[in-house]
Amino acid sequence: MTAELAVTIVGSALLILGAFVIASAAIGLIRLPDLYTRTSAIGTAAGLGVSLIIVGVVVLDFSALNLLKGVIAIVAQLLTSAIGSFALARSGYLTGSRPVATTAPDELADSAASPRDRQIDDGRALGDDSATS
Amino acid sequence: MIPDVVAAIVIGLLAIAVVLAVVRIVRGPTPGDTAVAGDLIFFAFIGIVAVFGLAFSIDAVIDIVLIAAILGFLSILSLARLLQGGQR
Repeated sequence: MTAELAVTIVGSALLILGAFVIASAAIGLIRLPDLYTRTSAIGTAAGLGVSLIIVGVVVLDFSALNLLKGVIAIVAQLLTSAIGSFALARSGYLTGSRPVATTAPDELADSAASPRDRQIDDGRALGDDSATS
Repeated sequence: MIPDVVAAIVIGLLAIAVVLAVVRIVRGPTPGDTAVAGDLIFFAFIGIVAVFGLAFSIDAVIDIVLIAAILGFLSILSLARLLQGGQR
């Protein structure tokens, strides 16, 4: 009885924590200034949030098979969310999404991949940097 | 399986996340921002499916989450490829 109650409390806390992490990633998606910081927020926080939710599901609905599936899902999630955000940030840089003006050492700026040459004008997040191009 | 209030809180938080991501999709400004917001909607969808499955005692919930976690990154890789017009 009490063990069942403890399992319910721990599992529920993990579910709520995971949902809270994903919601905070969404707040970061609104408030952060450019594509790269947004990608960073989604890639880390969503991977962690989904992993916490999977742990909560396994705790609440426990069996050996569910534990195995949960471990596989968490490993896959943590690996692939990083890959996805990396690929998205890379293609964003290649297609001309500019970082904010405070990105001081932009080491790709002089290379052929620089978005300064062929940029999609996004107008709002650029600030004073657009005057120099 | 889980208390109703927990399911309501979790689905509420994830729904807030989806709404904020939709706001980012509408406001843009670049296609990359739209793609990353879609990625977040997919993650929130995994969480919502998991909690619905627990609330209604559906046994296949962990299988659904497993498949989504393994194959979900293909969508964002496809979007990244699409942004570059098929070039690498």
